[in-house]
Amino acid sequence: MNTTVRYTEQELVTSLKARDEQSFSYLYDNYSGALYSIVLQIVPDKELANDVLQEVFVNLWKKIESYDTTKGRLFTWMLNVARNLAIDMVRSKGYQNSQKNQQLPDTEYYDKAGGVTQLSVDNIGLRKIVGKLKTEHRVLIDLAYFKGYTHEEIAEIESLPLGTVKTRIRSALTQLRAYLK
Amino acid sequence: MNTQEYISSGIIESYVLGLASSEEQLEFEQLCAAHPEIQQAKEAFELTLEQHTVANAIAPPADIKQKIWTQIQPTTAQVVKMKPAKNRLPSTAPVKKMNLSTYIAAASVILLLTSTVLNFYFYRQYQSSIAKLDELVKNQEQLVNNNSIMQTKLQQYESSLSMIRNPNMAVIAMKGQAINPSGLSTVYWDTQTKDVYLLVNNLPQPALDKQYQLWAIVDGKPVDAGVFDMKDADGLVKMKNIPQAQAFAITLEKKGGSASPTLAAMYVMGKV
Repeated sequence: MNTTVRYTEQELVTSLKARDEQSFSYLYDNYSGALYSIVLQIVPDKELANDVLQEVFVNLWKKIESYDTTKGRLFTWMLNVARNLAIDMVRSKGYQNSQKNQQLPDTEYYDKAGGVTQLSVDNIGLRKIVGKLKTEHRVLIDLAYFKGYTHEEIAEIESLPLGTVKTRIRSALTQLRAYLK
Repeated sequence: MNTQEYISSGIIESYVLGLASSEEQLEFEQLCAAHPEIQQAKEAFELTLEQHTVANAIAPPADIKQKIWTQIQPTTAQVVKMKPAKNRLPSTAPVKKMNLSTYIAAASVILLLTSTVLNFYFYRQYQSSIAKLDELVKNQEQLVNNNSIMQTKLQQYESSLSMIRNPNMAVIAMKGQAINPSGLSTVYWDTQTKDVYLLVNNLPQPALDKQYQLWAIVDGKPVDAGVFDMKDADGLVKMKNIPQAQAFAITLEKKGGSASPTLAAMYVMGKV
């Protein structure tokens, strides 16, 4: 099975690098949901997450040349592109300002259809698994993976020694792996 | 190095999830290349992560795909859609060029027509001017001729007048004879030079084959003093020199004059 998947992935990568629109359509149909999920875990605002997802696929299309097959799977590359763009959005000044404005008490956000636009992301994907971790681990993974802080930045934010941050994160990641299986 | 320990250290997850520092990444990639089991463990985690994430997929709004396509269209369009666009460009470009050349052609035609009309107009003007100039030159020549004629006549009159004023000049009036009683002519005879000048005061126009002839009567005999034409007779007409005479008379003779006067055709006569 592994070899079959790899082969089709190679085929997909070859077609994508040849700027084949059909393969890009296939890529979207098969992976947009997974990438949307990871974007939402970082950018809970649906409208903004939609924008990020668009940006993700435009980037995938434009930067497919830079994808190096020797470094990992296509999905790993796409996941990192999605995560990085989502973190860029969360860290942008515009987003920071809008978040400040939205942090008014008793304010809920509805879209035109009346549904809640702000998803509760704690129960989806990696977040759900991260939620199973001890608080001291969960906080660090949240800062590192979902907010994109470096170990050094986290050490500063959490007032922890850098070595402790590294150890805890490594420990948290091995636990995550176990949960994923 | 204990490979299994390294595999379970969390470095694989850290690397795949993008949390590893650049140094860690470099070290991990080198170890992966050296230890197939690390590479395999990495691939296994990647697959697990992919499967888990795909399994937890959330379908994005349906319109997003179209929005993405709209955004990437310019890039793909360069290959696919630019072709018709490029095809359209040459078809529009010649039209634009046609338009321009049409304008130029139209302008040229207008200029040509204008030029033709102006050429024709100026040619007509030129022709008219040439004609006017010719006319003026002719007029001028006419005037010069007239002037010279007038000058000549004036000189004639002046000489005539000076002769008449000449105190030596004898004036002999010749009265009309039976044939033409109203006839009158005058002979001015310079008593010193003996030159004879004739003034026709009134004589009928002769027939074309006839000419008037002046005679001097010397001792009862007629002496030819010359013939004259009426067209010359609007002033003093110089006749032959006559040394002496008692009377002068004019007869009508055949053209060129006669040796002796036809007395029957004597028009005027006057005594000195």
